[in-house]
Amino acid sequence: MPREVSIIGAGMAQFGNRTDKTLMGLFKEAATRAIDHANLGDTPISSLYVSTMLAGELTNQTATASALADELCIIPVAADRVENGPASGGSAVKNAYLSIAAGFADIVLVVGGEKMREVPGDRITDLIATMTHPTAEYINGVTLPSLAAMFTRLYMNKYGVERKHLSMIAVKNHSNALMNPYAHIHRKITLEGICTSPEAEVNNPIIADPLRLFDMCPVSDGAAAVVLCAGDIAKKFTDKPVIVAGVGQATDIHAVAQRPDPTALNAVKNSSQQAFKMARLTPKDMDFAELHDAFTILEIAESEDAGFFEKGTAHKAVEQGVTLLGGKFPINPSGGLKARGHPVGATGVAQIAELTWQLRGEAGERQVKGAKKAFSCNFGGFGNNVVSFVLRRDI
Amino acid sequence: MLQNTQSLEKKMEKMENIEQMLSLDWDMPKKPYPAKVITLPTGSKMVVREIQREEVPHLLDAIRPLLTVAADYYDIVSARMYAELLGWYRYRVRNEYCLVGIVDGELAGIVNNRLYDNKTCISYHTMALKRGGRVGAHLFAAKQEHAIENYGVDQILVTAESPIGFNRWMVEWNLEPRPGLQHELGGAAAYALTKEGYGIRKSKLVFGERPVPKDLYEQTLNFKVVPPDMVKEAKA
Amino acid sequence: MMPNKMIGVKCTSCGAVYYPKRDCCPKCRSIKLEETEIGDQGELITYTELWAVPKGISQMPLVLGIVQFASGTRVLGQVSAKEVKVGMCLKPVWAVVRKVQEKEVHGFKFEPI
Repeated sequence: MPREVSIIGAGMAQFGNRTDKTLMGLFKEAATRAIDHANLGDTPISSLYVSTMLAGELTNQTATASALADELCIIPVAADRVENGPASGGSAVKNAYLSIAAGFADIVLVVGGEKMREVPGDRITDLIATMTHPTAEYINGVTLPSLAAMFTRLYMNKYGVERKHLSMIAVKNHSNALMNPYAHIHRKITLEGICTSPEAEVNNPIIADPLRLFDMCPVSDGAAAVVLCAGDIAKKFTDKPVIVAGVGQATDIHAVAQRPDPTALNAVKNSSQQAFKMARLTPKDMDFAELHDAFTILEIAESEDAGFFEKGTAHKAVEQGVTLLGGKFPINPSGGLKARGHPVGATGVAQIAELTWQLRGEAGERQVKGAKKAFSCNFGGFGNNVVSFVLRRDI
Repeated sequence: MLQNTQSLEKKMEKMENIEQMLSLDWDMPKKPYPAKVITLPTGSKMVVREIQREEVPHLLDAIRPLLTVAADYYDIVSARMYAELLGWYRYRVRNEYCLVGIVDGELAGIVNNRLYDNKTCISYHTMALKRGGRVGAHLFAAKQEHAIENYGVDQILVTAESPIGFNRWMVEWNLEPRPGLQHELGGAAAYALTKEGYGIRKSKLVFGERPVPKDLYEQTLNFKVVPPDMVKEAKA
Repeated sequence: MMPNKMIGVKCTSCGAVYYPKRDCCPKCRSIKLEETEIGDQGELITYTELWAVPKGISQMPLVLGIVQFASGTRVLGQVSAKEVKVGMCLKPVWAVVRKVQEKEVHGFKFEPI
């Protein structure tokens, strides 16, 4: 019988252009805040998971979990680096969950981070592109934006999604991030400025047709951390534990073109179904969700494949304001990847941090009122490895 | 003795003529730039208008803090633009014009060009003082608009110090390389924006509404100079 | 030797066709796959004009597309065409697709019939 697992603390290092700190420095910034938030005091940490996709390539440092265990002075803690592309964070949290549920560990620290801005733009684009299929995709000059763009065109032609729906998501997420002190981008944008005015042609230029500048998340440095512990001891540290009610993970065919339906995100569908089943909850029970909007189209597609809207209809919900912070079903109250930023290894952990703050009523101005149950999905590759979570707070 | 005094007087007379010889100003008719309003991504409205010579010292105040910001080549661009504007102010540059972008009464960007003659314009510099709003892209387009549409030149010679600038101007505007031609700015490689090239790209790159509403225009007359975003970032 | 036909694999258990070749069928998990010709022409089902091109690519923009063949498979590749439209007919052509560390790399790209 697996043990119940709770999250007792969360912390983030400011996302953005962090020339002031090394990757280790960012890990420490987030970890220290999470440990403080968890009121751990002198209680020893049993295990450490560090999530980073490109530490070796960007900052010439490997075995980062071992290094961080020393930096944080928490040796002889068990420590592993977890790599799952942009879903590294989700996988790290999943592994932390498993180790506690299995009774191997009692208190686990998960830290995720990346220093994406350490190298020039074309180099980071290429490093991210290495996730794609080497012979079916990468060799042709495929980059993630180009895959997302081809996916978007299929989606637009099949389901009637329009440019304005994508822009509305960007506007919403920028607006939410204004209330998130840790977000990378603190800049209001308007639909007029990026979509409906003639000058939107210059304001929001095409990067990979039909996707534009404001359809793509920024290149960010940053880190995030959470502390998980066995459910039966959580109350020693906080009177607001957040329970990990469900976890799911699934992979999909690597080359996007080889998938039976390239517009179907089967890994999102499978992993979210697993998480809901384990939690004995449904999408309708959720109060909000943090989705992986590396590209605005993904917020639409993931919200459908995770079961919040019928396939091909989420863009109508966007139009009606359903997913706004004050709407019936807020998506990405944190600002999402679009405006909170996307230091690849940090994102999955930052999503869990946001869920934790929101469910504890500690999200300040961007608080989703009365939130008790929430969903997140962390999207690896171009949807070929997705980790989903359902968290709940029992009040 | 008398002969020497006369030579001295002749020499001093010539000094007054020398100032006239060295003095450079407009040697062709000036054409007005009708101001326009551009909507930025933030929804803010940027007024683009031409400045008068008397406003140059105010602009120099805005540029001065950037002289020591090495990031993104701000130091060399600001040093050269400072020299170009000061040169115009002190009558040592011929046929120079300068447009500014003003947002909420604050200076957002500066662009300048120089007309070589009525067929060729030399593109000088583009400086955005506020980040992230595509200010530079819009102002670059505006100064070229002035040269092609109001002065009727056949071509504008462009170069760039910054790789980001290069990418933007050369690629977005599809500029034609002019091998062998040295640009006034340090002899750098010159690229041309021709009248035809401008015509082809105009609908995708040149925007703005005219006329500017009176009260909005009035806000731009005594614009404020605030610390540029880049200086704040450099300090951080 | 310069290949002039796209050769992929067909799963002898469920009939699914894949390009590039692979050892096992993700649909039915069979390892019984045999070589098969993909086809001389296909339909473009989606594409993009990429302006932020990676290192080693010389065209700007780079046009990438997914082409659907009658054999049932879909292949992603570069598209060389003056005008690109969803639904257009394209044929595979063996050509240099990019440089990797200064060495030319060949592959199939797509051109109008």
